[in-house]
Amino acid sequence: MSGERWPEWARRAAMAPGAFYALILLSLVFGVFTAQFLTLHNLANVGIQASVLIIVALGMTLIILSEGIDLSLGTVLGLASVVLALCVKQQMMLGVGILLAILVGVAFGAINGTLITRLGLPPFVVTLGSLGMAQGLSLILTKGRSIPGLGPRVQYFNDGWVAGIPVPVVMAAATFLVVYVILYHTKFGTYVFALGGNEEALALAGVRTRLYKTGVYVLGGALAGVGALVMTGRMNCAHPDVGVGLEFDAIAAVILGGTSFERGKGWLVGTLIGVAAVSVLRNGLNLIGLSSTWQMSTVGAVIILAIVVDALRGI
Amino acid sequence: MSREWLSRLSHVGMVILLLVVLSIISPAFLSVQNLINVVRQASLLFILASGLTIVVLTAGIDLSIGAVLAVSACVGANYIVQGSVWLGSLVGLAVGALCGLLNGLMVAVIGLPPFIATYGMLWVAEGTAQGFMQGEITAEFPASFRFLGAGRILGIPVPILLMVATLAACSFALRRTSFGRYVYAMGANREAARLSGIHIRRNLLLVYSASGLLSAFAGLVYISRINGVESTIGEPLLLPALAAVCIGGTSLFGGEGGIEGTLTGALIMTLVTNGMNLLNVSPYWQSFVMGTIVVMAVAIDQLGAEKVGRS
Amino acid sequence: MAETLVLQLEGISKQFPGVKALDDVSFDLRRGEVHALVGENGAGKSTLIKVLAGAHRLDAGRIVIERQPVVIDNPAQALALGVSVIYQEFNLVPYLSVAQNIFLGREPRHRRIPGLIDHARMNAESQRLLDSLGVDLNPRAVVQYLGVAQQQMVEVAKALSLNAQIVVMDEPTAALTTREIEQLFAAIRRLTARGVGVIYISHRLEEVFEVGHRVTILRDGRRVDTLGIQDATMDRLIEAMVGRTIDRMFPRDFAAEKGEVALAVHNLHRNGVLSDINLTVRCGEIVGLAGLVGSGRTELARVIFGADPYDAGEVKIFGRTVRGSPAKCVALGVGFLPEDRKREGLALILPLRENVVMASLRRLFPSGIIRRAKEREVVTDFVKSLDIATPSINRLTKFLSGGTQQKVVLAKWLCTQSRFLIFDEPTRGIDVGAKAEIHQLMNELVKRGAAILMISSELPEVLNISDRIYVMHEGRIAKELAREEATQEAILRYAMGGVK
Repeated sequence: MSGERWPEWARRAAMAPGAFYALILLSLVFGVFTAQFLTLHNLANVGIQASVLIIVALGMTLIILSEGIDLSLGTVLGLASVVLALCVKQQMMLGVGILLAILVGVAFGAINGTLITRLGLPPFVVTLGSLGMAQGLSLILTKGRSIPGLGPRVQYFNDGWVAGIPVPVVMAAATFLVVYVILYHTKFGTYVFALGGNEEALALAGVRTRLYKTGVYVLGGALAGVGALVMTGRMNCAHPDVGVGLEFDAIAAVILGGTSFERGKGWLVGTLIGVAAVSVLRNGLNLIGLSSTWQMSTVGAVIILAIVVDALRGI
Repeated sequence: MSREWLSRLSHVGMVILLLVVLSIISPAFLSVQNLINVVRQASLLFILASGLTIVVLTAGIDLSIGAVLAVSACVGANYIVQGSVWLGSLVGLAVGALCGLLNGLMVAVIGLPPFIATYGMLWVAEGTAQGFMQGEITAEFPASFRFLGAGRILGIPVPILLMVATLAACSFALRRTSFGRYVYAMGANREAARLSGIHIRRNLLLVYSASGLLSAFAGLVYISRINGVESTIGEPLLLPALAAVCIGGTSLFGGEGGIEGTLTGALIMTLVTNGMNLLNVSPYWQSFVMGTIVVMAVAIDQLGAEKVGRS
Repeated sequence: MAETLVLQLEGISKQFPGVKALDDVSFDLRRGEVHALVGENGAGKSTLIKVLAGAHRLDAGRIVIERQPVVIDNPAQALALGVSVIYQEFNLVPYLSVAQNIFLGREPRHRRIPGLIDHARMNAESQRLLDSLGVDLNPRAVVQYLGVAQQQMVEVAKALSLNAQIVVMDEPTAALTTREIEQLFAAIRRLTARGVGVIYISHRLEEVFEVGHRVTILRDGRRVDTLGIQDATMDRLIEAMVGRTIDRMFPRDFAAEKGEVALAVHNLHRNGVLSDINLTVRCGEIVGLAGLVGSGRTELARVIFGADPYDAGEVKIFGRTVRGSPAKCVALGVGFLPEDRKREGLALILPLRENVVMASLRRLFPSGIIRRAKEREVVTDFVKSLDIATPSINRLTKFLSGGTQQKVVLAKWLCTQSRFLIFDEPTRGIDVGAKAEIHQLMNELVKRGAAILMISSELPEVLNISDRIYVMHEGRIAKELAREEATQEAILRYAMGGVK
């Protein structure tokens, strides 16, 4: 890397993740084409909507940093949501429901992590399989129907306020803080970078790499469980289809935010920018009136395009 | 060689075992009519999984096959239902091949990891199908088209004949042509293949395009059989197809296995699905079972590979 | 004086299939000394170090550290015993800081908040270590963005922080500037001042004289001599390094007619790897490419073959300028036998038969359809003519022995009927009889009008079989030698940087 030849500002600009440019571009486009985009109300809305994605994407960032991937985070979130709803419907204590929801995420994370580290299976296949398993379990538990009317205590996760700030935002911020501390101030976080950057060096240093690798998936799963709380609160019901596709947005946010698949290079704040870009995209498409049936392909295409451009820039 | 024969034997054994178990569960199972049904169902799965097999042989993956099947079928159906059967079919196949080509470009030219590229394509294709169909169903195809999925030639259902034809064509391509050698070489050792003068990009583009084309073909046969199409028909097909490939002995790490194994894999998967239906297992459980089977199939394959000293 | 010995290697032997890499080698290291280890390629230096580092298990002999006999089965054990090896490819995590790399696995805990890392203490400690080495580096800097010399310093600081008593440096100055080398030496002196013993492997004899206290010469897996640096001279070292008995080799007949120019390279340049390369190879001749490890021979071969890109200059094959892929070169009639046969030359899980024809499919089967009978015929011919030991042509390549695998690679390229062949260490790991066979084969090929560029580290082989020899040194052609004027000493001298 001939870092010496470039002026500092050029180097910084070149290193800014694609999400940064995407965000600016999209904001400009939507700001011009719709009157409603740049209103405070709308932006606040976007922020609240994005909170679930932030929580899940933060977990995904660590997983991708450690050179893995987890395709099941979306359906696991859905399953956690279903479990929470069932607990509420059974008149259990809310705390129990919350605990079980997060445990669902932890369990799937543990299964994924163990299969990947013990058997050396490619992460995308294992998590594809657990995606199916989680979705299946959601369907089984709900018998294909949604579970509505969960009540104000669950709705608190989306509608409530803490010191004047909406609960979802608080939860997203809190999650960010926790993950930030973990990643940059604990051994666990250091090892996440090492798992992606040079796993051999870590093993040589006497660290139990398998344990930490599994731990990354467990953390991702746990965060999916946390995200489920907000999601369930927002919809005030649990539906077996919830969460499907969320992992795609999360992966996109992470990659666009500058975290690379292969080198243990990443930026947590970048993920936030990536989430912002993806959320702005979806919001903007809504505002310009694109029918929901076309949104899936448009979002997919734009994200793929951004990833491709990012890959080309790296060459 | 012996590992291949061993796995083939175990496949045949598994098929026989499943047949026995299922006939015990339901006496009606072993009727000729039912068995033909099973094989016909397996044919559809096989045609879809054959493209995936070729991709996996190069140590790649194509997660978009279900979605490509759906979007090709939806677009093609649009013309077919209006009477232009040939045009519609060609358009459908072209759409599939195009999606495959785009996959190939992302993987071979831009260098994206295959699972990300094809996962993105999954969303784009499925989304396009959704947008195209606007939530509606296209049904009631002309009889000439329905022959593809529902007709018979000499008493044998057409899909089964198409399966045999696909098997023959793919087997020939993979075992008897230079292209097939390139596929295996790229999967066995990509760098050695490159240094042997094999055009990596060109061949990968072909491989992924073939996968898209075969997905589209499977789609046409499928919608002809059920006489209707909607945007989500491809969703439940990825996991069974992947399982069929893995069970059939084709290694995800490339260079090992073949299309013949995928045939037995498709049969096994269909028998399992059939069995679950006979046992009145709810469709929701089936989704769960599918996921578990994929993971188990890959795990078994990996353990076997470690024993023989690969990876 | 036994008390000052920190390491004793006694009678170490190590055998690999086909070659005895170490034969009863003894070596000791005193506290606070820099003991240099020199020898040609394949003399056994890296094998000895790998045994010490726990990467290889010794077949015979024992290791004694601080007067205690030890068993080193894996790298972690070696580390725990105070052995730190700094290889040429560093073992650092790219996107962590200097301090994080130094303390990887041993991060200091925050005194007040449990579970957190005390970054301040880690950085301060790292700064101390770096200062004690005389290195100016910010412990917070991310390793990926540092220069090679600085990354190396991180490795040294890491060794220091692990309280290594034995630090091994394997060709440490390969990528450094003169100034950086001086800084490295200053750091080494500080290490030794603290009583650390340093094993210094290098082919740059001037450096050995500058920084070493003793020097041991290895040759053919045996220890030839150990000298105090004051008793050593360049001549004496080179003499000890060379002088291998020339086995009965295949007598090359140099009668082949020199035909057209197969390869012409002009001013070839690849940033950081190759500079200003000019060479030619004609049909009918075998051109040897000599040089030490890291001199750029394989890199040059790969660039010629299209496997790697280049930045400036021209490569012309049979008169046509090429800049592309291996596929293009193969189509023009070029073949390349890589140094690492398992990783680059063969697809191990495929049968022998498929590997042999892999590069010739277009030639043998222009229609694209493979005819089994013809394939069988062609492959069986090669099995016979090259005496390939296999029960059947369908045997999976991974089950063949190393020497046999090399023959399969050879068969692959002979099958292409290429007119210009690049051989990278063609007879490494092969017994004497087979070596002679291969030399005979090469002779036949050029008699029939082929051109051969051969990279080899075995000087007798290079001298025996080459019409001309290019000697490479640090990415450049140091000298072109005609057959008559070439000797082992001359080649080694140019390979090490010139006539002194």
